Amino acid sequence: MNYCKRCVYPQIAVNLEINNDGICSSCGVFEKFKKLTPEFWAQRKKKFEELIKEISKNNTSDYDCVIPVSGGKDSYYQTHMMVSVYGLKPLLVTYHGNNYLPEGDYNRDRMRHVFNADHLVFGPSVEVLKKLNRLCFRKMGDMNWHAHCGIMTYPIQVAVKFNIPLVIWGETSWDISGMYEPEDFVEFSARARHEHSLRGFEWHDMLNDEKEKLSEKDLLWTKYPTDDEILKVGVRGLYIGNFFRWDPNKHSKMVQEKYGWKPREVPFERTYRKFSNLDDRYENGAHDLLKFIKFGYGRASDHASKDIRDGYMTREEGIEKVRKHDHVVSSDLNYWLDYVGMSEEEFWRVADTFRDPRVWRIENGAWVKDNVWGTSSAYGPVYLSEEQSKEFNKRQKNLGLKNNGK
Amino acid sequence: MKKRRLIPVLLLKNGWLVQSKGFQFYQNLGNPVTSAKRLSEWASDELIYLDISRDEVYDLRRDDLGHENRRSFLEIIQDVSKVTFMPMTVGGRIRTLADIERRLSLGADKISINTAALLNQNFITEAAREFGSQSVVVSVDFKKIGDKFVVMSEGGTKETDYSPLEWAKIAQSAGAGEILLNSIDRDGARTGYEIDVIAEVSENVKIPVIACGGAGEWAHFAEILEKTKADAVAAANIFQYTDQSVYQAKKYLYERGYNVRPPDLLTV
Ligand SMILES: [Zn+2]
Repeated sequence: MNYCKRCVYPQIAVNLEINNDGICSSCGVFEKFKKLTPEFWAQRKKKFEELIKEISKNNTSDYDCVIPVSGGKDSYYQTHMMVSVYGLKPLLVTYHGNNYLPEGDYNRDRMRHVFNADHLVFGPSVEVLKKLNRLCFRKMGDMNWHAHCGIMTYPIQVAVKFNIPLVIWGETSWDISGMYEPEDFVEFSARARHEHSLRGFEWHDMLNDEKEKLSEKDLLWTKYPTDDEILKVGVRGLYIGNFFRWDPNKHSKMVQEKYGWKPREVPFERTYRKFSNLDDRYENGAHDLLKFIKFGYGRASDHASKDIRDGYMTREEGIEKVRKHDHVVSSDLNYWLDYVGMSEEEFWRVADTFRDPRVWRIENGAWVKDNVWGTSSAYGPVYLSEEQSKEFNKRQKNLGLKNNGK
Repeated sequence: MKKRRLIPVLLLKNGWLVQSKGFQFYQNLGNPVTSAKRLSEWASDELIYLDISRDEVYDLRRDDLGHENRRSFLEIIQDVSKVTFMPMTVGGRIRTLADIERRLSLGADKISINTAALLNQNFITEAAREFGSQSVVVSVDFKKIGDKFVVMSEGGTKETDYSPLEWAKIAQSAGAGEILLNSIDRDGARTGYEIDVIAEVSENVKIPVIACGGAGEWAHFAEILEKTKADAVAAANIFQYTDQSVYQAKKYLYERGYNVRPPDLLTV
C-alpha cells in the first residue's frame, strides 16, 4: 500500500489519487485552497451573497433556508453564518438516528435556544433503525447507512414540502478526496448522495431481506425527491465551505466561546479529537472501525491528515496518532452489539468478509497490512472459514497483487 | 432547421469517472455509470463517452458498493448503455475494426477515433465503409504551439503536422461523419471555447462539427451557437457540478431563443 508523502492517507482512501511525486489529490487540492488570498475570499463572499439572493428570489415560503443540522460544531458554524452573519430565518432540520451521545443531545437541543430558530427533528421508528443497522452491516459492512441516507434525504424532502429553495450545507468533500477544486463551485447533488453517501444503495435495495423484514412504508424518509419536484421548488444545496475558509479547529473554538457548544468530555478511543461525531456513538466506535477493517485506515488518519495540512501537527506526530488510534476496537462497539443483539464473534465473522484484498493479506491466520510508518503488522485473527479465506486469496491474486503486500 | 445539440462528455480513466484539466490533471469523481444515468434522465441530446485510460487496469478500488466494480471498459459501456436513452458515441483506445464492432454491438450508436485515424487515414474510410459514415466520429484534439494551432495525437502528447482545419478536411474526405473538435489548452480551464478555430473549421467542412473544451458557464454555450456554425456544443466537467445541469443549460439556451430542443426531463 502506498501512502501520501505529505499526509497519512493510504492510496485506498475514497476517491484518492496519488500523483507521481507521491502527493495525494487531497493534499493537492488543499494546497490550492491554502494559496487563496483574502481578496479571493472577499470575492467568494460576494459570490455567495449573489447566489443566495438569486436562489431566494423564487422563495414562496416563510423560511429563508433549510439547514440540515446534527448539532455538531459544523451545524453551529453553518447556522451562525446564516443567522448571526446574514440575519436569515432558517428551518433547522435534524435526522435523528437514535445514536446520540449525551453531549450531542445537549448541543442539538441547544440550537433553538441560542439561534432563535425553529427546529424540526425527525427520527425513524427505532425498530426500523435496528433492522437497518443489522441489514446494512451484513449487506455493505456499514451499519450507519441509515444515517448517511437520513441526513442526505430528509432535509431535501423538507425543502420540497415547505417550498424552501435554499439548503445550506457545511464542508464540501473536495478536501477529503480531492474530487473538486474551489473553482468548481460544486453543489449538493443526487448523484453524489447516491454514490458516495449511500454507497449506491437506495430504499428498494432494503426490501425482501430474509431476516430483516422491511416495507416500503418503513422507508418513506429514505426516498429522494424526483427531479420534477426539485425543479418545481428550485431546490439547490450550497456548501458554505466553497465560500468561506473551512478550519474545523477554529470553528470548534468559536462555537464553544460564542454559543456554549460542548465538546466531548471523555476522549474517544478511535481518534484524538474531541469535537467530531457527537451525534453518533456508533459512527466512531462501529462504523469507523469497519472502515479500518475494510481499508486499513480510520478516523485518526482522517483527522491527522487534515491537521497536518492545516499545520496543527507534523507528519511524524500524525503518524503517532494513527499508530495509537486507528486500529482500536473501542467500547462503543459493545453498545452497538447490545443495541442490535449481536455477538462479537458474529460481528467479526461478517466484518472479515469485507476486508479489502488491496490492503490486507492473510499470514499465519492473522490479518496483516503495511503501515504508514513503513513496517507491516498483524491486526487480529482471521474469522473467515477456510473456503472464504481461499476465496479472499483468489481475489487478491486476480487483482494482480501478490501475497507480499505490494 | 435542424436543432443544434447539447452533448455531455463523460471521461473514464482506469475505471473511474474523472474530470480533466488540460489533459494532465485528473480528479476521480466516482462511479462510471451513475452520471450517464443522470445525464439521460435530464434528456441530453446525446452522450459522448471517452476512455482516456493509459493502460488496461480498471478498478474503482471498492467492492462494498451497490455499484458493480467493473474490470474492463467494455463491461462499463455495457452497463452505461443499459441506463441511457440517448444516442451514445464511444471513444478511446480504438485501433481496429473489431474494436469498433464490439463497441457498436454493446450499445454505442457511434464511435470516435483519434490517434488511429491520424496513424492511418484509411482506417476512417474502412470504418465508414463497414459501419456507415454516420457512425464514425473523428475526434480532433488541438493545441496552440507558438502562434499556430496544431492537431495532437495520443491523448494530446504527440504533435502532428496538421492544423485543425487541414485535418478536419482530410477526415471528411476519408469518410468521417462528424468531427469532435477539442481544445487541449481550454480543457477544464472554464474560460470559454476556442471560438476562432471552431468557427473556421465549422465554416469550411460540410459534416457536423461538435465543439468541445472550455465551458465554464452556460453563456459559453451560447457563444458557440452565436459565433460559429458548429452543430453541437459539448462539455464534460461543467455537467458534474450541479444537479439537473443539462436541463438548466438547455433552459438557459432555449429561453434566449437559440435553436435547441426545449428543456425537458426524460419520462420513461
Ligand atoms: Zn496527502
